[in-house]
Amino acid sequence: MAMIEVQHLTKRYRDRVAIDDLTFSVEEGEILGFLGPNGAGKSTTMKILTGFLPPSEGVARVGGFDVFTHPLEVKRRIGYLPEAPPLYPDMTVHGYLKFVAALKRLPARELKGEVERVAGLTGVTHVLGRLIQNLSKGYKQRVGIAQALLGSPQVLILDEPTEGLDPAQRAEVRALIKSLAGKHTVILSTHILPEVTMTCEKVLILNQGRIVAYDDLRKLAGSQGTSESASLEEVFIKLTAA
Amino acid sequence: MRIALAIARKELSLFFTTPWAYGVFTAMVALSSFFFVNLLATFQQVQEQAREVTWAMMPPDMTAYRNLTDGVMVQLWGMVIIITLFIAPFLSMRLFAEEKRNKTFELLMTAPVRPIEIVLGKYLGGLGIISATLGLTLIFPLVLSAFGHADSGTALEWPTVLLGYGGILLWGATCMAVGMFISALTESQMLAAFLTFAVLLPWMLLSGVAQATEEPLRSVLTYLSFDAQLQNMLKGILDVQTLVFFASVIVFSLLLTHRTVEARRWA
Ligand SMILES: Nc1ncnc2c1ncn2[C@@H]1O[C@H](COP(=O)(O)OP(=O)(O)OP(=O)(O)O)[C@@H](O)[C@H]1O
Ligand SMILES: [Mg+2]
Repeated sequence: MAMIEVQHLTKRYRDRVAIDDLTFSVEEGEILGFLGPNGAGKSTTMKILTGFLPPSEGVARVGGFDVFTHPLEVKRRIGYLPEAPPLYPDMTVHGYLKFVAALKRLPARELKGEVERVAGLTGVTHVLGRLIQNLSKGYKQRVGIAQALLGSPQVLILDEPTEGLDPAQRAEVRALIKSLAGKHTVILSTHILPEVTMTCEKVLILNQGRIVAYDDLRKLAGSQGTSESASLEEVFIKLTAA
Repeated sequence: MRIALAIARKELSLFFTTPWAYGVFTAMVALSSFFFVNLLATFQQVQEQAREVTWAMMPPDMTAYRNLTDGVMVQLWGMVIIITLFIAPFLSMRLFAEEKRNKTFELLMTAPVRPIEIVLGKYLGGLGIISATLGLTLIFPLVLSAFGHADSGTALEWPTVLLGYGGILLWGATCMAVGMFISALTESQMLAAFLTFAVLLPWMLLSGVAQATEEPLRSVLTYLSFDAQLQNMLKGILDVQTLVFFASVIVFSLLLTHRTVEARRWA
Protein backbone atom coordinates (compact mmCIF):
# COMPACT_ATOMS: atom_id res chain seq x y z
CA MET A 1 0.00 0.00 0.00
CA ALA A 2 1.27 3.45 -0.90
CA MET A 3 2.16 5.81 1.93
CA ILE A 4 0.30 8.70 0.35
CA GLU A 5 -2.72 8.11 -1.83
CA VAL A 6 -4.64 10.87 -3.54
CA GLN A 7 -7.76 10.14 -5.54
CA HIS A 8 -9.78 12.61 -7.60
CA LEU A 9 -8.81 15.44 -5.28
CA THR A 10 -10.46 18.75 -6.11
CA LYS A 11 -10.36 22.03 -4.23
CA ARG A 12 -12.45 25.06 -5.02
CA TYR A 13 -12.07 28.43 -3.33
CA ARG A 14 -15.58 29.74 -3.88
CA ASP A 15 -15.85 29.44 -7.66
CA ARG A 16 -12.11 29.32 -8.40
CA VAL A 17 -10.83 25.80 -8.99
CA ALA A 18 -7.39 25.57 -7.38
CA ILE A 19 -6.80 21.87 -8.03
CA ASP A 20 -8.84 19.72 -10.32
CA ASP A 21 -9.24 15.95 -10.02
CA LEU A 22 -5.71 15.02 -8.93
CA THR A 23 -4.86 11.34 -8.62
CA PHE A 24 -1.40 10.16 -7.62
CA SER A 25 0.37 8.12 -4.98
CA VAL A 26 3.73 8.09 -3.27
CA GLU A 27 5.35 4.84 -2.13
CA GLU A 28 7.04 4.53 1.22
CA GLY A 29 10.55 5.97 1.14
CA GLU A 30 10.01 7.75 -2.16
CA ILE A 31 10.71 11.42 -2.88
CA LEU A 32 8.16 13.10 -5.12
CA GLY A 33 8.83 16.53 -6.61
CA PHE A 34 5.95 18.93 -7.21
CA LEU A 35 6.62 21.29 -10.05
CA GLY A 36 4.46 23.93 -11.61
CA PRO A 37 4.20 27.63 -12.33
CA ASN A 38 2.91 30.08 -9.72
CA GLY A 39 -0.68 29.39 -8.81
CA ALA A 40 -0.62 25.84 -10.18
CA GLY A 41 -2.01 24.40 -6.96
CA LYS A 42 1.10 22.93 -5.30
CA SER A 43 0.59 24.59 -1.92
CA THR A 44 -3.13 23.90 -1.98
CA THR A 45 -2.50 20.17 -2.47
CA MET A 46 -0.04 20.16 0.41
CA LYS A 47 -2.45 22.01 2.68
CA ILE A 48 -5.06 19.34 2.05
CA LEU A 49 -2.60 16.50 2.66
CA THR A 50 -1.62 17.99 6.01
CA GLY A 51 -5.22 18.47 7.10
CA PHE A 52 -5.08 22.26 7.11
CA LEU A 53 -7.69 22.60 4.39
CA PRO A 54 -10.58 20.27 3.64
CA PRO A 55 -10.89 19.03 0.06
CA SER A 56 -13.97 19.96 -1.96
CA GLU A 57 -14.06 16.49 -3.51
CA GLY A 58 -12.00 13.34 -3.53
CA VAL A 59 -9.96 11.61 -0.87
CA ALA A 60 -6.41 11.82 0.40
CA ARG A 61 -4.91 9.10 2.59
CA VAL A 62 -1.67 9.12 4.51
CA GLY A 63 -0.45 5.85 5.98
CA GLY A 64 -3.85 4.40 5.12
CA PHE A 65 -5.79 7.02 7.10
CA ASP A 66 -8.22 9.39 5.47
CA VAL A 67 -6.99 12.94 6.03
CA PHE A 68 -10.50 14.22 6.59
CA THR A 69 -11.96 11.55 8.84
CA HIS A 70 -8.82 10.69 10.84
CA PRO A 71 -6.94 13.99 11.00
CA LEU A 72 -5.06 13.17 14.19
CA GLU A 73 -3.66 9.87 12.88
CA VAL A 74 -2.50 11.64 9.74
CA LYS A 75 -1.01 14.65 11.51
CA ARG A 76 0.97 12.37 13.81
CA ARG A 77 2.75 10.96 10.75
CA ILE A 78 3.51 14.22 8.97
CA GLY A 79 6.20 16.85 9.32
CA TYR A 80 5.15 19.94 7.39
CA LEU A 81 6.97 23.00 6.21
CA PRO A 82 4.35 25.46 4.93
CA GLU A 83 5.06 27.98 2.20
CA ALA A 84 5.64 30.67 4.85
CA PRO A 85 7.61 29.14 7.72
CA PRO A 86 5.27 29.26 10.75
CA LEU A 87 7.54 31.03 13.23
CA TYR A 88 6.96 33.14 16.34
CA PRO A 89 9.28 36.16 15.93
CA ASP A 90 9.47 36.81 19.67
CA MET A 91 10.65 33.31 20.56
CA THR A 92 14.17 32.00 20.61
CA VAL A 93 14.95 29.19 18.18
CA HIS A 94 15.36 26.82 21.10
CA GLY A 95 12.11 27.86 22.75
CA TYR A 96 10.31 27.53 19.44
CA LEU A 97 11.61 24.04 18.69
CA LYS A 98 10.74 22.92 22.20
CA PHE A 99 7.23 24.25 21.78
CA VAL A 100 6.73 22.45 18.47
CA ALA A 101 8.15 19.26 19.99
CA ALA A 102 5.55 19.52 22.75
CA LEU A 103 2.81 20.07 20.16
CA LYS A 104 3.99 16.89 18.45
CA ARG A 105 3.61 15.10 21.77
CA LEU A 106 7.25 14.05 22.06
CA PRO A 107 7.94 12.65 25.53
CA ALA A 108 9.52 15.25 27.82
CA ARG A 109 12.72 13.28 28.33
CA GLU A 110 13.39 12.99 24.56
CA LEU A 111 12.75 16.65 23.97
CA LYS A 112 16.22 18.02 24.54
CA GLY A 113 18.01 15.41 22.48
CA GLU A 114 15.53 15.71 19.64
CA VAL A 115 15.83 19.50 19.47
CA GLU A 116 19.61 19.14 19.33
CA ARG A 117 19.37 16.48 16.65
CA VAL A 118 17.24 18.52 14.23
CA ALA A 119 19.23 21.66 14.98
CA GLY A 120 22.38 19.76 13.99
CA LEU A 121 20.79 18.42 10.81
CA THR A 122 19.70 21.87 9.65
CA GLY A 123 22.78 23.73 10.89
CA VAL A 124 21.04 26.02 13.37
CA THR A 125 22.84 24.81 16.51
CA HIS A 126 24.81 28.04 16.89
CA VAL A 127 21.69 30.24 16.69
CA LEU A 128 19.55 28.24 19.14
CA GLY A 129 19.67 31.04 21.70
CA ARG A 130 18.76 33.85 19.32
CA LEU A 131 15.38 35.46 18.78
CA ILE A 132 13.78 34.27 15.56
CA GLN A 133 12.98 37.83 14.46
CA ASN A 134 16.71 38.60 14.34
CA LEU A 135 17.57 35.70 12.03
CA SER A 136 18.23 36.10 8.33
CA LYS A 137 15.66 34.77 5.89
CA GLY A 138 17.73 31.68 5.14
CA TYR A 139 18.07 30.82 8.82
CA LYS A 140 14.35 31.31 9.37
CA GLN A 141 13.80 28.83 6.57
CA ARG A 142 16.18 26.37 8.22
CA VAL A 143 14.32 26.66 11.50
CA GLY A 144 11.15 25.93 9.56
CA ILE A 145 12.74 22.77 8.18
CA ALA A 146 14.08 21.79 11.61
CA GLN A 147 10.57 22.09 13.00
CA ALA A 148 9.23 19.73 10.32
CA LEU A 149 11.91 17.13 11.11
CA LEU A 150 11.13 17.03 14.85
CA GLY A 151 10.04 13.58 15.90
CA SER A 152 11.24 11.95 12.65
CA PRO A 153 7.78 11.79 11.06
CA GLN A 154 7.27 9.07 8.44
CA VAL A 155 6.09 11.62 5.91
CA LEU A 156 7.61 15.01 5.15
CA ILE A 157 5.73 17.62 3.19
CA LEU A 158 8.01 20.49 2.30
CA ASP A 159 6.66 23.51 0.43
CA GLU A 160 9.61 25.15 -1.31
CA PRO A 161 12.16 24.10 1.32
CA THR A 162 15.11 25.81 -0.38
CA GLU A 163 13.33 29.14 -0.83
CA GLY A 164 15.44 32.01 0.44
CA LEU A 165 18.63 30.00 0.88
CA ASP A 166 21.97 30.88 -0.67
CA PRO A 167 23.50 28.39 -3.15
CA ALA A 168 25.67 26.70 -0.54
CA GLN A 169 22.82 26.31 1.93
CA ARG A 170 20.63 25.13 -0.90
CA ALA A 171 23.04 22.34 -1.70
CA GLU A 172 23.17 21.39 1.97
CA VAL A 173 19.39 21.23 2.31
CA ARG A 174 19.18 19.25 -0.91
CA ALA A 175 21.71 16.76 0.43
CA LEU A 176 19.77 16.59 3.67
CA ILE A 177 16.52 15.82 1.87
CA LYS A 178 18.24 13.25 -0.28
CA SER A 179 19.60 11.55 2.83
CA LEU A 180 16.04 11.24 4.12
CA ALA A 181 15.00 9.05 1.19
CA GLY A 182 14.30 5.48 2.15
CA LYS A 183 13.52 6.30 5.78
CA HIS A 184 10.97 9.02 5.04
CA THR A 185 8.41 9.56 2.36
CA VAL A 186 8.83 13.08 1.02
CA ILE A 187 6.84 15.46 -1.12
CA LEU A 188 8.62 18.68 -1.94
CA SER A 189 7.65 21.55 -4.18
CA THR A 190 10.05 23.83 -5.93
CA HIS A 191 10.46 26.22 -8.83
CA ILE A 192 14.04 25.16 -9.35
CA LEU A 193 14.16 22.46 -11.99
CA PRO A 194 17.68 21.14 -11.37
CA GLU A 195 16.67 20.65 -7.76
CA VAL A 196 14.12 18.07 -8.81
CA THR A 197 16.65 16.28 -10.93
CA MET A 198 19.04 16.17 -8.02
CA THR A 199 16.71 15.05 -5.26
CA CYS A 200 13.62 13.36 -6.59
CA GLU A 201 12.90 10.01 -8.17
CA LYS A 202 9.49 10.98 -9.38
CA VAL A 203 8.05 14.24 -10.52
CA LEU A 204 4.54 15.59 -10.82
CA ILE A 205 4.01 18.68 -12.90
CA LEU A 206 0.90 20.73 -12.20
CA ASN A 207 -0.52 23.43 -14.37
CA GLN A 208 -3.67 25.38 -13.52
CA GLY A 209 -4.69 22.76 -11.03
CA ARG A 210 -4.29 19.76 -13.32
CA ILE A 211 -1.62 17.10 -13.62
CA VAL A 212 0.20 17.58 -16.91
CA ALA A 213 2.98 15.10 -16.23
CA TYR A 214 3.48 12.45 -13.59
CA ASP A 215 6.26 9.97 -14.07
CA ASP A 216 9.70 8.75 -13.17
CA LEU A 217 12.17 11.53 -13.69
CA ARG A 218 14.26 9.37 -16.00
CA LYS A 219 11.36 8.53 -18.29
CA LEU A 220 10.18 12.13 -18.35
CA ALA A 221 13.52 13.77 -19.02
CA GLY A 222 15.81 11.09 -20.31
CA SER A 223 14.52 10.68 -23.85
CA GLN A 224 15.92 13.75 -25.54
CA GLY A 225 18.30 16.62 -24.79
CA THR A 226 21.85 16.66 -23.60
CA SER A 227 21.59 16.96 -19.82
CA GLU A 228 18.76 15.86 -17.59
CA SER A 229 17.97 19.25 -16.14
CA ALA A 230 17.97 20.97 -19.50
CA SER A 231 15.53 18.51 -20.94
CA LEU A 232 13.33 18.68 -17.87
CA GLU A 233 13.18 22.39 -18.44
CA GLU A 234 12.05 21.80 -22.00
CA VAL A 235 9.41 19.37 -20.85
CA PHE A 236 8.27 21.79 -18.16
CA ILE A 237 7.95 24.73 -20.51
CA LYS A 238 6.21 22.67 -23.16
CA LEU A 239 3.71 21.20 -20.73
CA THR A 240 2.89 24.34 -18.80
CA ALA A 241 2.62 26.72 -21.78
CA ALA A 242 -0.89 28.07 -21.45
CA MET B 1 -4.07 18.42 28.72
CA ARG B 2 -0.30 18.52 28.40
CA ILE B 3 -0.68 20.15 25.00
CA ALA B 4 -3.13 22.72 26.35
CA LEU B 5 -0.64 23.60 29.08
CA ALA B 6 2.19 23.91 26.56
CA ILE B 7 0.08 26.31 24.51
CA ALA B 8 -0.90 28.28 27.61
CA ARG B 9 2.73 28.52 28.69
CA LYS B 10 3.74 29.74 25.24
CA GLU B 11 0.95 32.31 25.30
CA LEU B 12 2.09 33.66 28.67
CA SER B 13 5.80 33.75 27.93
CA LEU B 14 5.21 35.49 24.59
CA PHE B 15 2.99 38.02 26.34
CA PHE B 16 5.64 38.87 28.90
CA THR B 17 8.35 39.30 26.27
CA THR B 18 6.41 42.02 24.45
CA PRO B 19 6.50 45.69 25.45
CA TRP B 20 2.75 45.52 24.93
CA ALA B 21 2.38 43.71 28.26
CA TYR B 22 4.07 46.48 30.17
CA GLY B 23 2.01 49.11 28.37
CA VAL B 24 -1.14 47.35 29.52
CA PHE B 25 0.16 46.98 33.08
CA THR B 26 1.04 50.65 33.19
CA ALA B 27 -2.37 51.65 31.90
CA MET B 28 -4.05 49.42 34.49
CA VAL B 29 -2.02 50.78 37.40
CA ALA B 30 -2.19 54.40 36.25
CA LEU B 31 -5.94 54.43 35.71
CA SER B 32 -6.83 52.58 38.89
CA SER B 33 -4.41 54.71 40.95
CA PHE B 34 -6.07 57.80 39.58
CA PHE B 35 -9.47 56.61 40.73
CA PHE B 36 -8.04 55.35 44.02
CA VAL B 37 -6.56 58.71 44.88
CA ASN B 38 -9.76 60.50 43.93
CA LEU B 39 -11.87 58.13 45.98
CA LEU B 40 -9.59 58.60 48.96
CA ALA B 41 -9.86 62.38 48.69
CA THR B 42 -13.65 62.23 48.56
CA PHE B 43 -13.66 59.78 51.44
CA GLN B 44 -11.57 62.09 53.55
CA GLN B 45 -13.76 65.10 52.77
CA VAL B 46 -16.93 63.29 53.71
CA GLN B 47 -15.37 61.97 56.89
CA GLU B 48 -14.27 65.45 57.94
CA GLN B 49 -17.66 66.89 57.17
CA ALA B 50 -19.32 64.15 59.18
CA ARG B 51 -17.04 64.82 62.11
CA GLU B 52 -18.36 68.38 62.24
CA VAL B 53 -22.06 67.64 61.88
CA THR B 54 -22.19 63.99 63.09
CA TRP B 55 -23.22 61.08 60.85
CA ALA B 56 -26.88 61.37 61.87
CA MET B 57 -27.10 64.70 60.05
CA MET B 58 -25.41 63.47 56.85
CA PRO B 59 -27.50 62.76 53.74
CA PRO B 60 -28.39 59.06 53.58
CA ASP B 61 -26.43 58.39 50.36
CA MET B 62 -23.26 59.36 52.20
CA THR B 63 -23.46 56.53 54.71
CA ALA B 64 -21.28 54.39 52.45
CA TYR B 65 -18.44 56.68 53.45
CA ARG B 66 -18.57 55.51 57.07
CA ASN B 67 -16.01 52.81 56.40
CA LEU B 68 -13.15 52.20 54.00
CA THR B 69 -14.65 49.05 52.52
CA ASP B 70 -17.86 50.65 51.25
CA GLY B 71 -16.44 54.13 50.89
CA VAL B 72 -13.34 53.26 48.90
CA MET B 73 -12.86 49.62 47.96
CA VAL B 74 -16.32 48.75 46.66
CA GLN B 75 -16.28 51.87 44.53
CA LEU B 76 -12.73 51.27 43.37
CA TRP B 77 -13.65 47.75 42.26
CA GLY B 78 -16.53 49.27 40.33
CA MET B 79 -14.02 51.43 38.46
CA VAL B 80 -11.66 48.50 37.88
CA ILE B 81 -14.52 46.72 36.15
CA ILE B 82 -14.91 49.64 33.75
CA ILE B 83 -11.14 49.77 33.17
CA THR B 84 -11.14 46.03 32.47
CA LEU B 85 -13.86 46.55 29.90
CA PHE B 86 -11.50 48.87 28.04
CA ILE B 87 -8.30 46.89 28.54
CA ALA B 88 -9.36 43.25 28.14
CA PRO B 89 -10.17 43.52 24.40
CA PHE B 90 -6.54 44.53 23.84
CA LEU B 91 -5.39 41.42 25.68
CA SER B 92 -7.73 38.95 24.02
CA MET B 93 -7.30 40.28 20.48
CA ARG B 94 -3.97 38.54 19.95
CA LEU B 95 -5.08 35.06 20.95
CA PHE B 96 -6.10 33.77 17.52
CA ALA B 97 -5.85 36.75 15.17
CA GLU B 98 -2.10 36.96 15.56
CA GLU B 99 -1.58 33.27 14.83
CA LYS B 100 -3.54 33.68 11.64
CA ARG B 101 -1.68 36.78 10.57
CA ASN B 102 1.65 35.15 11.44
CA LYS B 103 0.75 31.95 9.58
CA THR B 104 1.52 30.03 12.77
CA PHE B 105 -2.12 28.99 12.86
CA GLU B 106 -1.10 26.52 10.15
CA LEU B 107 1.42 25.03 12.58
CA LEU B 108 -1.21 24.54 15.29
CA MET B 109 -3.75 23.14 12.86
CA THR B 110 -1.38 20.63 11.26
CA ALA B 111 0.15 19.40 14.52
CA PRO B 112 -1.41 16.30 16.08
CA VAL B 113 -3.51 18.48 18.35
CA ARG B 114 -7.27 18.51 18.88
CA PRO B 115 -9.11 21.80 18.38
CA ILE B 116 -10.34 21.57 21.98
CA GLU B 117 -6.73 21.47 23.21
CA ILE B 118 -5.92 24.59 21.22
CA VAL B 119 -8.97 26.42 22.56
CA LEU B 120 -8.36 25.40 26.17
CA GLY B 121 -4.66 26.21 25.94
CA LYS B 122 -5.37 29.62 24.47
CA TYR B 123 -7.99 30.33 27.09
CA LEU B 124 -5.79 29.25 29.98
CA GLY B 125 -3.07 31.52 28.62
CA GLY B 126 -5.61 34.33 28.36
CA LEU B 127 -6.69 33.74 31.95
CA GLY B 128 -3.08 33.96 33.09
CA ILE B 129 -2.64 37.24 31.23
CA ILE B 130 -5.78 38.87 32.60
CA SER B 131 -5.06 37.60 36.14
CA ALA B 132 -1.58 39.08 36.04
CA THR B 133 -3.04 42.40 34.89
CA LEU B 134 -5.81 42.43 37.48
CA GLY B 135 -3.51 41.13 40.20
CA LEU B 136 -1.82 44.51 40.21
CA THR B 137 -4.93 46.12 41.69
CA LEU B 138 -4.62 44.01 44.86
CA ILE B 139 -2.07 46.56 45.92
CA PHE B 140 -4.86 49.04 46.75
CA PRO B 141 -6.59 47.08 49.54
CA LEU B 142 -3.15 46.20 50.91
CA VAL B 143 -2.18 49.86 51.03
CA LEU B 144 -5.50 50.72 52.64
CA SER B 145 -5.27 48.10 55.32
CA ALA B 146 -1.73 49.19 56.13
CA PHE B 147 -2.22 52.95 56.20
CA GLY B 148 -5.91 53.77 56.01
CA HIS B 149 -8.07 54.79 58.93
CA ALA B 150 -11.66 55.94 59.29
CA ASP B 151 -14.04 56.85 62.09
CA SER B 152 -15.47 53.37 62.05
CA GLY B 153 -12.04 51.83 62.55
CA THR B 154 -9.11 50.98 60.37
CA ALA B 155 -9.98 47.45 59.43
CA LEU B 156 -11.05 46.53 55.92
CA GLU B 157 -13.80 43.99 55.63
CA TRP B 158 -11.64 41.50 53.81
CA PRO B 159 -14.44 39.06 52.90
CA THR B 160 -16.26 41.84 51.06
CA VAL B 161 -13.10 43.12 49.42
CA LEU B 162 -12.06 39.66 48.26
CA LEU B 163 -15.49 38.71 47.03
CA GLY B 164 -15.48 41.92 45.03
CA TYR B 165 -12.08 40.99 43.67
CA GLY B 166 -13.46 37.56 42.78
CA GLY B 167 -16.17 39.37 40.85
CA ILE B 168 -13.51 41.32 38.98
CA LEU B 169 -11.64 38.13 38.08
CA LEU B 170 -14.87 36.55 36.91
CA TRP B 171 -15.55 39.60 34.79
CA GLY B 172 -12.01 39.53 33.38
CA ALA B 173 -12.39 35.82 32.58
CA THR B 174 -15.66 36.58 30.80
CA CYS B 175 -14.14 39.39 28.75
CA MET B 176 -11.29 37.10 27.70
CA ALA B 177 -13.67 34.31 26.67
CA VAL B 178 -15.81 36.61 24.55
CA GLY B 179 -12.70 38.32 23.17
CA MET B 180 -11.07 35.00 22.29
CA PHE B 181 -14.09 33.95 20.26
CA ILE B 182 -14.07 37.21 18.34
CA SER B 183 -10.31 36.92 17.85
CA ALA B 184 -10.87 33.51 16.25
CA LEU B 185 -13.11 35.12 13.63
CA THR B 186 -10.58 37.50 12.11
CA GLU B 187 -6.97 38.00 11.11
CA SER B 188 -6.96 41.60 12.26
CA GLN B 189 -6.12 42.19 15.91
CA MET B 190 -7.44 45.73 15.84
CA LEU B 191 -10.75 44.60 14.42
CA ALA B 192 -10.93 41.86 17.06
CA ALA B 193 -10.34 44.38 19.86
CA PHE B 194 -12.88 46.80 18.46
CA LEU B 195 -15.57 44.16 17.96
CA THR B 196 -14.99 42.73 21.44
CA PHE B 197 -15.49 46.16 22.92
CA ALA B 198 -18.54 46.70 20.73
CA VAL B 199 -20.07 43.49 22.12
CA LEU B 200 -19.10 43.96 25.78
CA LEU B 201 -20.07 47.59 26.21
CA PRO B 202 -23.77 47.36 25.27
CA TRP B 203 -23.98 44.12 27.23
CA MET B 204 -22.58 45.97 30.20
CA LEU B 205 -25.13 48.74 29.81
CA LEU B 206 -28.06 46.37 29.54
CA SER B 207 -29.19 47.09 33.09
CA GLY B 208 -29.74 50.73 32.16
CA VAL B 209 -31.89 49.67 29.21
CA ALA B 210 -33.73 47.29 31.52
CA GLN B 211 -34.90 50.19 33.70
CA ALA B 212 -36.78 51.64 30.74
CA THR B 213 -38.71 48.44 29.98
CA GLU B 214 -41.72 46.68 31.51
CA GLU B 215 -41.79 43.40 33.38
CA PRO B 216 -41.13 40.60 32.59
CA LEU B 217 -38.58 41.84 30.04
CA ARG B 218 -37.08 43.97 32.74
CA SER B 219 -36.08 41.05 34.97
CA VAL B 220 -34.73 39.11 32.01
CA LEU B 221 -32.58 42.01 30.85
CA THR B 222 -31.39 42.69 34.37
CA TYR B 223 -30.39 39.06 34.78
CA LEU B 224 -28.49 39.15 31.48
CA SER B 225 -26.69 42.38 32.33
CA PHE B 226 -23.06 42.13 33.41
CA ASP B 227 -23.41 45.26 35.45
CA ALA B 228 -26.38 44.11 37.54
CA GLN B 229 -24.77 40.72 38.15
CA LEU B 230 -21.49 42.27 39.23
CA GLN B 231 -22.96 44.89 41.54
CA ASN B 232 -24.21 42.21 43.92
CA MET B 233 -20.82 40.58 44.15
CA LEU B 234 -19.09 43.89 44.72
CA LYS B 235 -21.38 44.58 47.66
CA GLY B 236 -20.37 41.28 49.17
CA ILE B 237 -23.39 39.22 48.19
CA LEU B 238 -22.50 35.91 46.58
CA ASP B 239 -25.35 34.60 44.52
CA VAL B 240 -25.24 31.20 42.82
CA GLN B 241 -27.23 32.79 40.02
CA THR B 242 -24.34 35.14 39.30
CA LEU B 243 -21.84 32.30 39.14
CA VAL B 244 -24.12 30.33 36.84
CA PHE B 245 -24.55 33.35 34.63
CA PHE B 246 -20.84 34.05 34.16
CA ALA B 247 -19.96 30.38 33.84
CA SER B 248 -22.55 30.04 31.07
CA VAL B 249 -21.22 33.02 29.15
CA ILE B 250 -17.67 31.64 29.41
CA VAL B 251 -18.57 28.08 28.43
CA PHE B 252 -20.73 29.28 25.58
CA SER B 253 -17.89 31.46 24.26
CA LEU B 254 -15.46 28.55 24.47
CA LEU B 255 -17.88 26.32 22.57
CA LEU B 256 -18.28 28.96 19.87
CA THR B 257 -14.51 29.32 19.61
CA HIS B 258 -14.18 25.56 19.31
CA ARG B 259 -16.75 25.49 16.55
CA THR B 260 -14.92 28.26 14.73
CA VAL B 261 -11.58 26.45 14.91
CA GLU B 262 -13.18 23.14 14.03
CA ALA B 263 -15.15 24.71 11.18
CA ARG B 264 -11.95 25.07 9.17
CA ARG B 265 -12.17 21.37 8.53
CA TRP B 266 -15.53 21.82 6.88
CA ALA B 267 -14.93 25.07 5.09
N1 LIG C 1 -7.25 31.24 0.34
C1 LIG C 1 -7.46 31.30 -0.99
N2 LIG C 1 -8.60 31.86 -1.48
C2 LIG C 1 -8.84 31.92 -2.80
N3 LIG C 1 -8.00 31.43 -3.74
C3 LIG C 1 -6.86 30.87 -3.32
C4 LIG C 1 -6.53 30.76 -1.93
N4 LIG C 1 -5.33 30.14 -1.83
C5 LIG C 1 -4.94 29.86 -3.09
N5 LIG C 1 -5.85 30.28 -4.00
C6 LIG C 1 -5.78 30.13 -5.46
O1 LIG C 1 -5.59 28.76 -5.75
C7 LIG C 1 -4.68 28.60 -6.83
C8 LIG C 1 -3.55 27.69 -6.41
O2 LIG C 1 -2.74 28.34 -5.43
P1 LIG C 1 -1.48 27.66 -4.73
O3 LIG C 1 -1.04 28.55 -3.65
O4 LIG C 1 -1.84 26.27 -4.38
O5 LIG C 1 -0.42 27.65 -5.91
P2 LIG C 1 1.12 27.25 -5.87
O6 LIG C 1 1.29 26.21 -6.92
O7 LIG C 1 1.55 26.91 -4.51
O8 LIG C 1 1.80 28.59 -6.34
P3 LIG C 1 3.25 29.20 -5.95
O9 LIG C 1 4.23 28.52 -6.83
O10 LIG C 1 3.11 30.65 -6.32
O11 LIG C 1 3.46 28.97 -4.51
C9 LIG C 1 -4.24 29.99 -7.22
O12 LIG C 1 -4.99 30.38 -8.35
C10 LIG C 1 -4.58 30.84 -6.04
O13 LIG C 1 -4.90 32.14 -6.45
MG1 LIG D 1 2.92 27.65 -3.23
